[in-house]
Amino acid sequence: MNNEHSDLESALRALRPRAPGPAVVAGLARELDAPAASPGRGRVIAWFSAAAAAAACLLGFLFFRQADEALAPAYQLVRAEQPPAAVDVFAPLRLDDGSFVRPVRVRWSNETHWEDRRTNTKLINYSPSEQFGFIPLETY
Amino acid sequence: MTDAHAEQDWRAWFAEHGARLRLIARQWTRSDADADDVLQEAFVRFWKHQRHLPGDPNALVVTSIRRAALDLHRRSDRRALREQSVAADAEVFAAFEPEADPRLQALARSLPSLPAEQREVVVLKVWGDLTFEQIGEQLAISPNTAASRWRYAMEALRRLVTARTYE
Repeated sequence: MNNEHSDLESALRALRPRAPGPAVVAGLARELDAPAASPGRGRVIAWFSAAAAAAACLLGFLFFRQADEALAPAYQLVRAEQPPAAVDVFAPLRLDDGSFVRPVRVRWSNETHWEDRRTNTKLINYSPSEQFGFIPLETY
Repeated sequence: MTDAHAEQDWRAWFAEHGARLRLIARQWTRSDADADDVLQEAFVRFWKHQRHLPGDPNALVVTSIRRAALDLHRRSDRRALREQSVAADAEVFAAFEPEADPRLQALARSLPSLPAEQREVVVLKVWGDLTFEQIGEQLAISPNTAASRWRYAMEALRRLVTARTYE
C-alpha cells in the first residue's frame, strides 16, 4: 500500500521544515538550564529546609513536653466512704437434705473521692458490691 | 532518531528535532506564535518529566505537543479542537526552507491544498515519524482510517505536483 507512493514519501521527507526561532531556544534555556546553572542555590535551599525542619521538630518536642508536664494529673485522696450495708433477709428454705436455711443478701458500696486542686477536677471511684449467703436454721 | 532516554543535552536533541516538532505543533495551532508557545511548553514537559518513561520517545513528544495544543485551545476558549487544529491554513506549510528542485517546490506548495484531515496524517507520518497505529492513537481514529487518509493524500499530492510542475 505504501510502496506505490514511496517516491512521493521520499520527496516529502526531503522537504526541510524551518527551525524554531531563537526566542524558542532562549525560552527553553530559561526553563531547562535553570536548575543546572545554580546547583549551589539548590544546595542552600536543601540545607535551609533541613535546618528549618530540625528546628520545628525541636520546638514541637519542647512544647509538647511542657504541655505534658502541665497537664499531668496530680490527684489526692480527699474522701473515702462506705455507707451502711443493706441486708435483705428472705423466707426460710428447705434444702434437699431436710435442713432449713434463710437466704440473706448483703449490698454495700465503696466510694473514694480524688481531687486535683490545680486543675479543679475531681475523680470519683464508686464500686458497688453484692453478696448472697445462707444462714442455717436449727429446728427442734 | 537520537535516543532521548540516553541523551543528556537538550540542546543537541532539540537541534536535531526542533524543526519537525515545530511543524507538528504548527499543524495544531492557528499561528506561528502559538506554535512556538506550544512547542516550548511541550518540550519542557517532555524533557523534564517524560523522556525517561518507557516507550517511543518520539510518540511521547508528539503526544506532549498535542496535549499542549489542546491546553492552549482550552485557555483561548476557542472552538472545538477538530475545527481549530487542522484548520485549512494556507500558511501552515510556508515554514519550509526554500528548495531549488522545482518538484520539491511544487510539493511544498501543494501540501496546503490537501484536506486538513489528510494533511494531518501526512505531517504525523513524515515529520512525526509515527506509524499508522500511533497516528490512530494520537487522532483517536483507527489505523485503517489513518492509512486511508494517507493513501488519498498521496494520490491528491501526485495530481497536484504533476499539475504544478508543468504550470
